Amino acid sequence: MIQLIHVSKQYDQRPALSDVTLEIGKGEFVLLMGPSGAGKSTLLRMLIGAERPDEGQIFVHQKNVTTLKPSDIPYLRRKVGTVFQDFRLLPKKSVFDNVALPLLVQGVSSADIRRKVTEALRAVGVEHKRDQLPAGLSTGEQQRVCIARAIVNGPVVLLADEPTGNLDPALTSEIIELFKLINARGTTVVVATHDPLVMEQVNRRVFTWSQGRLLPEQRVLV
Amino acid sequence: MVTGPVAAGTAGAGVMTLSYLLRESWVNMRTNRTTTMVAILTTAFTLACVGIFLLLYVNLRAAAGWLQDDIKIMVYLDERLASDSVAEVEQQLRGDRAVASLLFISKEQALGEFKAQFPSESHLLEGLGQNPLPASFVVALSPSFRSPDAVKRWAERVRQVAGVSKVDYNQDWIDALATVIRSIELVAIGIGVILSAAAVTIIANTIRLTLFARRDEIAILRLIGATTSFIRIPYLLEGAVLGALGSTLSLVMLKFMYELFRQQMRTTGRFAGLDNLMAFFPPSVCLALVAVGMGLGFAGSFVSIRRFGEAKA
Repeated sequence: MIQLIHVSKQYDQRPALSDVTLEIGKGEFVLLMGPSGAGKSTLLRMLIGAERPDEGQIFVHQKNVTTLKPSDIPYLRRKVGTVFQDFRLLPKKSVFDNVALPLLVQGVSSADIRRKVTEALRAVGVEHKRDQLPAGLSTGEQQRVCIARAIVNGPVVLLADEPTGNLDPALTSEIIELFKLINARGTTVVVATHDPLVMEQVNRRVFTWSQGRLLPEQRVLV
Repeated sequence: MVTGPVAAGTAGAGVMTLSYLLRESWVNMRTNRTTTMVAILTTAFTLACVGIFLLLYVNLRAAAGWLQDDIKIMVYLDERLASDSVAEVEQQLRGDRAVASLLFISKEQALGEFKAQFPSESHLLEGLGQNPLPASFVVALSPSFRSPDAVKRWAERVRQVAGVSKVDYNQDWIDALATVIRSIELVAIGIGVILSAAAVTIIANTIRLTLFARRDEIAILRLIGATTSFIRIPYLLEGAVLGALGSTLSLVMLKFMYELFRQQMRTTGRFAGLDNLMAFFPPSVCLALVAVGMGLGFAGSFVSIRRFGEAKA
């Protein structure tokens, strides 16, 4: 599903990723562990074509992201859901409208939008908040809405960048459980985090990073 | 498939997307109400300045057309021409297909008209002892022979006719008017280009402010797979609407000024009758001007989006 072959990226002569090679299979749940600035976010941004590597090749869902034309990138992103630490919800749009956005940009009909958004909100447990604005939600609920937006169009991959960074341990557990459920339905899930609590709960393949390098001891817990 | 064309979807989906894009444009304008109003007003004033020259140009061109249509050519005859010869000249002129109508004015009639028009000056002629005014034909040419060149060619030809002493018409005055019109045309084009560029800049700046205010939203749209055109359309629409509203308002302002000017002419009595000859732009031209405004707004928006888009792609 995801393949990186000798990928390197530098910012101002400082390496963000150095010669990274890894493969993530279809339906896997993978953690990218490492401190802030280790290069996890850079990798996630590369997977959606927001950054290009200086060297190497990246494949997502059989497409070479490194050679994709800019006009093809939106179509890649429709197959890859993204979840962020800061949620990135539109403050002036209701929960429903926020979650509907990925469908709207694809030209999905209003009846299908209603059905799919309702399903996604139900899946993450915030269906009752559909008409509220994001500001009226708790941080845990905002993250759930963000996850609903990421899964509403049935992506093949879900990428999450520090999704529990703003959440307390109880909410962290809830969000991780949600990711597990999504993964159980067949979606490949990649979570970048520095939170050891997440690692304890996930108990899956873990790639550990340090200063842009993938450490040799890949810990495969399952 | 990761890549591929935008899903065409059903008609309902298209309507949904269109209504979203229109709503976004409307929200953009409402959110930045002050900026939007300032943009519309400045665009309106800018385009009204262009409109004044355009209106002046259109009216002067129409006036030149009427003058050209109304042109009368005086064919003066030799002093000592016998009445037979006068009849010959008349016959020759009547047989000319360029001549639409012909009126003979005898020496006596010419004197009578002079006395009637200039009673205080009539003693000047009495002092000469004999009538110095020549007999003449007043000729109106057919419409197809009224162009300045055709009139000139006809006059030169008639000058060669035996018994004709002089052919006179007010072409110099018409030529001078044509020169003035050409100058106004050039000034209107120059001012039009400069002020249109100003209108584009005004709208471009307004759209840039909107883009800046909504940069986070644009980034989110990109992340969730919105195509460049989906992101751009609301801003392009906003620019087009600002331009169209600006040009519509400029037409309202121009019409108001035009009516005021006509009213002023009527009440002061200056240029009596001219107010009836003046005309505002016909509806088709008004529509074309609104379309031009819309195009300028679209262009302004496009300029901003291109600049903003390169940085944020």
